[in-house]
Formats: sequence, structure tokens, C-alpha cells
Amino acid sequence: MNAIAVPSALLRFSRHELRLAWREWAWMFSGWRNTSLQRALIGMGIFYAIMHLIAYTLLSTRLAPGFVLDQSELAMLSVTVLLSFTMMLSQAMESVTRAFYARDDLDLILSSPAPSRDLFLVRIVMMALTSWVMSALVMSPFVNVAVVLGGQHWLAGYVVLLSVSLMATGAGVLITLALFRTVGAQRTRLTAQILAAIVGAAFLIGMQVVAILSFGSMSRFTLFDPAFLASHAPSADSIWWFPAHAVAGQTNAVFLILAASVLFFAVGAWLGAVQFRRIVVSALGATEKTPHGHASGRVFRGYSPLGALVHKELKLIARDPWLVSQTLMQVLYLIPPAVMLWVSFGQDTQVSVIIAPVVVMAVGQLAGGLAWLTISGEDAPDLIATAPISALTRLWAKVLSVLTLIAGIVLPIALCLALISLWGAVVTFTGALIAAASAILVQLWFRAQAKRTTFRRRQVASKASTVAEAAASISCAAGTALIAAGQPLALLPVVLLLIVLGIAWSIRPKRNARPSGV
Amino acid sequence: MPSSSPAALDILNLNKRFSEPAVNDLSLTVHNGEFYALLGPNGAGKTTTLRMVAGLLEADAGAVKICGIDAFADPIAAKQVLAWVPDEPMVYDKLTPLEYLEFVAGLWSMEPDLARFRADSLLDSFGLGPHANERCGGFSKGMRQKVALAGALIHEPRLIILDEPLTGLDAGSARQVKKVLTDLVAQGVSIIMTTHILEVAERMADRIGIIARGQLVAEGTLEELRERASADGNSLEDIFLKIVGGVSDGELIAGNASPPEEKVA
Repeated sequence: MNAIAVPSALLRFSRHELRLAWREWAWMFSGWRNTSLQRALIGMGIFYAIMHLIAYTLLSTRLAPGFVLDQSELAMLSVTVLLSFTMMLSQAMESVTRAFYARDDLDLILSSPAPSRDLFLVRIVMMALTSWVMSALVMSPFVNVAVVLGGQHWLAGYVVLLSVSLMATGAGVLITLALFRTVGAQRTRLTAQILAAIVGAAFLIGMQVVAILSFGSMSRFTLFDPAFLASHAPSADSIWWFPAHAVAGQTNAVFLILAASVLFFAVGAWLGAVQFRRIVVSALGATEKTPHGHASGRVFRGYSPLGALVHKELKLIARDPWLVSQTLMQVLYLIPPAVMLWVSFGQDTQVSVIIAPVVVMAVGQLAGGLAWLTISGEDAPDLIATAPISALTRLWAKVLSVLTLIAGIVLPIALCLALISLWGAVVTFTGALIAAASAILVQLWFRAQAKRTTFRRRQVASKASTVAEAAASISCAAGTALIAAGQPLALLPVVLLLIVLGIAWSIRPKRNARPSGV
Repeated sequence: MPSSSPAALDILNLNKRFSEPAVNDLSLTVHNGEFYALLGPNGAGKTTTLRMVAGLLEADAGAVKICGIDAFADPIAAKQVLAWVPDEPMVYDKLTPLEYLEFVAGLWSMEPDLARFRADSLLDSFGLGPHANERCGGFSKGMRQKVALAGALIHEPRLIILDEPLTGLDAGSARQVKKVLTDLVAQGVSIIMTTHILEVAERMADRIGIIARGQLVAEGTLEELRERASADGNSLEDIFLKIVGGVSDGELIAGNASPPEEKVA
């Protein structure tokens, strides 16, 4: 490869990646329908304008004349930077793993004379840029409003966001490389996805747990109490606030943080690039073997058709790295209510009012994902349809699989809650089951045959079902909280839930003739 | 080979229309222990017909009887004796072949010891024994197709419906599959199979049906088709092209294909 050819390969890869990224983005928002893309762009424009209004409402009082960058403000900025970093790191680990494992066009590229190192470099730069653009889209209303209210030095927020995305992407590469070395190609994918889920949720959950332990409150904002910060946080000129000073536009801090992140990213990207081919080859060649037992020693269990279907669903769910990580993330969000339960044990019988909606909301969301997998995400639909079982058995098996998993997660929490408040436990458990049942119903009405591998795109495939699922979960959570508190207003969310389900049922896609016997 | 017991498959005046007729008043019979090859050009209605027989698609009109069981009136009983193997292998990436066979055995309510015995035997027949504990996600298409075939055969069906089962198989694997199918027919199992590999139909099929535009345009043994088509050549390819409307070299160059000839069956 000569000097002219190398830049041309990089350029081609860059164009290729940009095209793929744009089409992925367009697909995500429109499902490849031009009218939907236009609507999505208009909707995003409106959303962006509203975000500016919200930013103005929040910042106009803070950035008023006489604004001082005290501990409270520094803590708020630092937390925002750290939160962005953990979110970006989680996304980076997910993207880097996919770059190594997703076959897509790798066979073509690796078999071509183009240097695979360049492909990885382009991909890794694209990951960092995408991460920056996405986070800038969310944060830019705040930066823009800060610039208008507080001065141009707040523009440094964009530079810090770029630095954070470079740092997170570099760290994502290095962590994934370390996993390949330590746990091997076969287990890296699952481990990385679980780690990504933990990293993404850990910071928020950690803050919530500290708030519960320090103040007995589930609100993270209690940590920004000036008195608490004065006694627990470093002084305003401490090096710990360095990123926060960079956001506020302190020139030295901005340059230093940018230089450090570029260097860190360059090291990560280069190490990843030089090992790319070797890792991809080992990743794609890693056959998934069951860890225990040999074919000769295994005894078949005598399943009924219903049992066989449920067992299969549970096994497939347990072996799906993406789903395991997503489920784990939902379960992680249940840690704060569990801590709250522990802290309040024997002191506050009304704790179920706080815990119930969190549990119900998490369960509703989890059930939606699981229901999609079992109902729509069937990889062998013809096999199931040609088996000598009734449509009712098929359906019941799918529902039972989801309910089994949900019950397995909710039951321990409900039992702990029962030690404090039996009524609260019953209400939480019932609310969680109703939320799960609502999510299952929505998935049944909007079912569309798909491969399980398209799971992460399910929310884009049917926006109506996504909205209905979320609205049903919120109604259930609100209703559960009000019933736990003994409020007669609980009737309102119940009516709202029925309306949501009614609308979802009425707009469900009409089906063609079902196969005979189904 | 007619017998006193009901035919393995009886299709009577089957109709299916999408935007235009896909299957048009089609009737055919597959006898017990018979290997029946269903041939036809792309879009002729072969797969639509077989999907209706397997209960995967609802027919507009007509009847299907599997081993004497009305498949539309009692689909569960009909499916008990049926196996369906499409061209795209129906396996789960996250299950091993052994786990897959255990699952299929459960769907057909098989006795576990018998299922285990059959699983071992089928995995050996298809050369999958060494891979019995590997997840199917890493398998080639040919291996996945063999796992799917093993799944279709584990419950000892009396009628096997195969839609292009040899697609993606290498020569060795195709030979393994053909041997298993031939052995099954020798044991009295009936097979109806679509294929584009005419040599397979020529060598393996007891009878051949040719379908075009949703209608059965020819049916019989290879010899019968040869006589009816008055084909100059003696290969099934010549007969097939003559019946469904083949093109000569000159027509290919001129881009002027001839229309299908009249029904000869």
C-alpha cells in the first residue's frame, strides 16, 4: 500500500462509514419512510426548542448577575460531566464490542487488500464523533443558554463534551482489549455488555444510594445541599473540580483536558487498530460451546409442549448477552428502592408509597422487552407453527415465560416489603403484575415476526407500541403509588390505563388471515 | 403405489390468491412410501402450496388430507404426523443441536428416552455427533440445515414436506441427506419435496409433478413425463423446460422467450 493509496482507503472508509451512520440514523427515526423522517425532523426541532426553554428556566436564576462558581455549582457541573462520561463509556463499550463481533461487512473488508487497521481507526473516530454529536444535541440547549446568559466562555462546554467523548471511547477500546486478554474472545461480548450496563447505571444509582443513606431521600438532588457539600466536598480550588472549571471556560483547564483526552484516545485507538484483525478473526471464529457436559452423558427431560416452549424461552433469554445486560440494568435500578427498604426497616411503614412506583415502572419496562422477545422475536416461527399444539398453548407459553421471569424478580422485593407493610407488598406485587400484563398485551396486539437479533430496534419498529407500553407503565406506577397511600385518586390512573390499553387495541395493526389452526 | 390405507397426502382443488391467483384449483396425491418431487419455475406456487399443507398459510378453498386426517378441520392431529423443512433452516443460534432436538421432541410430546435415542441416531446420520454440544450460532448454513432436518425427523413423521432442502449443502452433506431421505422412503415414510436441482428429482423421485402459474401442468414418473412431453432429449431438464416453456439458445440471444406450452398431464 503506497502513500497515495493509504489516504484514499481512509477516505473511502470514512465515506462508507458516514453513509452507514446516516442511513442507520434515518432508519432509526423513520423506518425508511420519507414522510416519517420529515415528521421526525420537525418533531426533533420542536423538542430542541422546548429544551432551550427548559434550559432557560433552570439557568436564568443560577446565572443571574453576581453568579459565583461555588462548591454547589462546581458539584453540579462535575456530576454532569461524570454522568456524560459514564453514559458515553457505556455506549462506547457496546459499540466497540459490536465493531469486533458484528459480521456485517467485516468478511468483505478483511478479505480485501485494504488495511483493516484503517477501517478500525475510521470506525473508532466515528464512534467518538457520534458520541459527541449525540451528547451535544442533548446538552447544547444548556450550553447555548449559558452562553447567552453568562458569556462566551461557556462555549468551552462543547470542547469538554468532545474531550469526554474521546476519553470515553478510548477507555471503551482499552477495556474491551483488556477483556479479550483476560476472559478470551468467547466471553468478552457478554462481559462487555454486562459491564456497559453496570457502568451506564452505576453512577446514577450510586448517587441515589448515597442520598438515601445520607438524607433518607431517593432524590439525587439532595446531594447538592450547600451544607452537605461544605462538609463533604473538596474546597472550590481543589484539583477535583478541574473538569468543572473547564466547562466554565477556564483556558488552562480547557486546553489541558482536551490535550489529555486526545492523547488518551490516540493511544486507545492505535492499540485497538493494530490488534483489530487478530481480534476480529478470533471473535468471529469463537464457537459458542456449552461449558458443561458431553453429548453422550446428557439425558433428555420429558417436557410437555408447554414446558418445552417455556424452557426454550427461558434458556434463550438467559443466553442473550444484550438482554442479560438490559435486564441487569433494570434490576440495578431496583437497588435504590431496596436500600430505601433496608434503611426504613421498622421505622417507616409508608415506605411502600415510595418504592411501589419505582418497582412497577421498572417491571413494566422489563416486561415489554421480554414480551417482545418471546412473542415477536421467534427465530423458528415455522417450527412452532407446524408443531401439534394449539394456538392457546403457544400463546400461554410465551406469556408464562415472561411472567415467570417477572415474578422471579418482583417476588423477593415484595417479600421484603411484606415485613414492613403487608398492604404495600400486595399492592406492589399486584401493580407489577398488572404492568407486566399490560406490556404483554401491547406486545401481543403489535406483534410482528422478527429475528431476536433485531431486539434493540424494536422501539423504532413500532412507535405506537413503545408509547403505549410506556404510558401503561406510568399509569400502573402512579396507580400503585396512590393505592399504597390509600388515596381515592388512584381511580384516575386506573382509568388512564384502561384508556391507554383501549387506544392501543383500537390502533393495533390489522392482521391478514392467520394460518389454519393458529 | 396405491394401497388400501389413506394416501399420505391428498390435496383437492386447493386455491390461494394474493394479488393474483398463486395456487389455482390444484389437486395432487402422494401415496404412502412415495417420494414425490414438485417442480416448477420461480413463483409457480410450489412453496405456497406446501405452506398451506403444513398449516402455515390459510387456503381460500379446497381440502388437504394428511394420512386421512382433514388438515383444515383437525390441524393438531395432522401436524402430529407431519414434518416441515423450509429452505431457510429453522434453528436457534443459542441452542446446541442436542438442546434443539430435546425442544422439538417436547413439542411433539415424545417419550424422553426414545427422543434421546433418535437424537443420537440422527446426529450421527448427519455427521453432527462431534458438534452436538456446540451452539448453532457458529454453524455453516449446511450444518444448520442438517440440524433442522434432524429436528424434522426426530418424531418419526409419516409425511415429510421439504422445500428446497439441499440449498446450501456441500456435495458430501447433500449425499448424507439424500441417503437419509432414501432410507426413510424405504421404511414407508412419504416425502414431497420441491427442488431446483432437477438431477435430484430425476434420481430420487418416484413421481414428479410440474407446477406452473399455480396449476399442476404435468405429473407422472420420469418415463411418463418423457412420453407425454415428447421431449427430444432424455433428461428431466429437457422435459421440464419443454413443459414450462424453455428457451432455445437463439431465443435467449434475441431475448424472446416462448410462452408455456399447454398442459400435458
